Amino acid sequence: MATRNRTPVYRKYRDALRSVRVPAVSPIRAYAGPSSSSAGGPVIELVSTSLLHPDRAYTPLSTEDPGNSSKGQLTVGLPPAWVDVSEEISANIQRAQTKMSELVKAHAKALMPSFGDGKEEQHAIEVLTQEITNLLKRSEKRLKKLSSNAPSEDSNIRKNVQRSLATNLQNLSMEFRKKQSTYLKHLRQQKEGQDGLDLEMNINGTRSKSEDDDFVDVGFNDRQMSQLRKSEAFTREREREIEQIVESVNELAQIMKDLSVLVIDQGTIIDRIDYNVQNVAATVEEGYKQLQKAERTQRTGFMVKCATILIILCFIMLVLLILKEILF
Amino acid sequence: MVLISLVRDYIGRMLQDIPGMKVLILDSQTVSIVSVAYSQSELLQKEVFLVELVDSMSKEPMAHLKAVYFLRPTSENIQKLRRQLANPRFGEYHLFFSNILKITQIQVLADSDEQEVVQQVQEFFADFCAIDPYHFTLNMHMNHIYMLPTVIDPPSAQSFCDRAVDGIAGVFLALKRRPVIRYQRTSDIAKRIAQETAKLMYEQESGLFDFRRTEISPLLLVIDRRDDPVTPLLNQWTYQAMVHELIGIQDNKVDLRHIGKVPQDQQEVVLSSEQDAFFKANMYENFGDLGMNIKRMVDEFQQIAKSNQNIQTIEDMAKFVDNYPEYRKMQGNVSKHVTMVTEMSRIVEERKLMLVSETEQELACNGGQVAAFELVQFLLKQAGVDKRTGDLYGNRDLLNIARNMARGLKGVENVYTQHQPLLFQTMESIIKGRLRDVDYPFVGNHFQQGRPQEVVIFIVGGTTYEEARTVALHNAANSGTRFILGGSVVLNSKHFLKDLEEAQRISRTNSVV
Repeated sequence: MATRNRTPVYRKYRDALRSVRVPAVSPIRAYAGPSSSSAGGPVIELVSTSLLHPDRAYTPLSTEDPGNSSKGQLTVGLPPAWVDVSEEISANIQRAQTKMSELVKAHAKALMPSFGDGKEEQHAIEVLTQEITNLLKRSEKRLKKLSSNAPSEDSNIRKNVQRSLATNLQNLSMEFRKKQSTYLKHLRQQKEGQDGLDLEMNINGTRSKSEDDDFVDVGFNDRQMSQLRKSEAFTREREREIEQIVESVNELAQIMKDLSVLVIDQGTIIDRIDYNVQNVAATVEEGYKQLQKAERTQRTGFMVKCATILIILCFIMLVLLILKEILF
Repeated sequence: MVLISLVRDYIGRMLQDIPGMKVLILDSQTVSIVSVAYSQSELLQKEVFLVELVDSMSKEPMAHLKAVYFLRPTSENIQKLRRQLANPRFGEYHLFFSNILKITQIQVLADSDEQEVVQQVQEFFADFCAIDPYHFTLNMHMNHIYMLPTVIDPPSAQSFCDRAVDGIAGVFLALKRRPVIRYQRTSDIAKRIAQETAKLMYEQESGLFDFRRTEISPLLLVIDRRDDPVTPLLNQWTYQAMVHELIGIQDNKVDLRHIGKVPQDQQEVVLSSEQDAFFKANMYENFGDLGMNIKRMVDEFQQIAKSNQNIQTIEDMAKFVDNYPEYRKMQGNVSKHVTMVTEMSRIVEERKLMLVSETEQELACNGGQVAAFELVQFLLKQAGVDKRTGDLYGNRDLLNIARNMARGLKGVENVYTQHQPLLFQTMESIIKGRLRDVDYPFVGNHFQQGRPQEVVIFIVGGTTYEEARTVALHNAANSGTRFILGGSVVLNSKHFLKDLEEAQRISRTNSVV
């Protein structure tokens, strides 16, 4: 994969040409100096461009040519407002990503057997999940704002930006959902396992008790009761968690559905570069045709109206003429 | 490394070092070079949010975008660029050219860049359309030029040669190799292209082509389509070749619009061995096996569709949503292949291609029947008998006759695909180091004995998918020698006959004058 960088050669020529160009231009500068100070608007122009390229000699020319002033603006020009929106979304996505890695850690920690009740961890997970869901939802809402209807190249860019962000968002939410569902699965497994274990222990416990002491009737003693109560509370807690996760999964599914409209399927014709280029050309052409048609209909409409009025007038005049002939 | 990944790497490198929002600007040739290797969603990931053609007339200023130009270094493109640079629309300009720039072109560009918006000028040698891993085409217009004597139209002959040389040079620069060059003695155009390539590689740009030497240099063999005019004329029965013969493939795209009754999203479909696993597995299968495989795929799809229908628990739902994108992709893929195969079998039925093809194969392979043989000989005279060096029918040499008889005794597996293109024999003799110096002389004094490990065969006048299949199957068998096939276009019989007709017409009008 050989490449060759021609930039040094290019620079060399450009610099050489610039040094040729400067003396040719500088007398104009001396001449243009006072004239630019007399003109009100372009002075700012001159300042702004020379700020960017202080060593440039062509700037005085812009004062003479009003067409050039827009060019100066172009180099300074701020990106359109939607760029901020897109940046905000990508920042959100990034934030969600970091949150996600935190969440993975928290999941792992919560699933580990611990002596404490794990309330803190669960709380942390809840908060994180909520935050990520919110971030995704917010991003999705902002994303909708990106689209515009004006048929211009700018709107094409916006559409493409939207698409790429949507793809990112979708991947992220998919990953998120996968993480959650694995966590859910583990949680369920653990719950079942714990129940089974508890039961076994209980049976074991009772059996050993009964073996130990035949006099005591086979029933739950206080200790067992408290254990049972505890495990019940524990189960309820888990149940609640599971419900929460299911809820957020559903929310995400909604987001996903909305996004899927925007995302390009890979390997299809829509994913081809040349197809998109041709499509743009075709749309432009189509638009031009429509415009022509509109113009034609408009013009013919006016003509037809004129002609009708004239004909009607002619008719009225004719009637008047006839009346005049008959009556007088 | 194979061709597609080479082009992909080039494009990736082009885009990765430029941060921020970008617009990619291509010309009519590079747009197909980029399209076959890269996809729109991949471009979006690289923050390329707009793709434009260089001759777009739009004047909308977009200073917040950085322009990445990827153009062939033609004089028209340079002119368009000049105009653009004199009046820039974008904030930054990064210029990439697909081939060697002339010093004067660099000067012209530097001259018009008064505002110093150009950040870099590079040569990235992706100057060929890599349609398959081992198959490239140059998509040349005026492909019939090669059949005419040079005297008729020297400027177009020159531009034809230049494009071919550029393409070949691009392939070798991308591979980082300098080959020894051989050509087919009987063809003037092949000789010319070979010599011009040699001149470029060993004299004009010898510094650029000076890569680390390998023990045995790779081989470039330039041959003429007229050496084997039979292959493009035959009916094809393997998937890719058949689609091209009956419907037509352009840059891995198939246009289904004229078929009628196709859904909106299936009017144009992509057939790329890179993105479509089913196509990759079946592109070289014959039509019968293909039918079976398609049936299997449809069955599989039905299974999945059924399992998606009964959703009862939340878990099912979650699973469904997880698998939904894949499901949709599969659905599109299934319907695409089914549409195509249906259409092809309709055509086969309509034109009675089974019968036709049997006769064709009979003629092409067992040319013993004298009458039929002469008939074909007569037909092929149009293509020029004296341009043929190899024994097309394998009946000029005793060994081949014996082989043919052995084949006749054994019986053939499939009547419709028994024809082996002449290229197959050429490849075999290259592997065995038995390509005759008299028929395929070397250019200059760069002789080489022994068998090369990398061979690029360039067919002036166009390749066929049947030959591409031969090459791909050979490479898959991995015998130590790797072949890459390239041509000016990818032919099917219609295209080939059109070229012939055009060439005939031009030479006739010329003789009248």
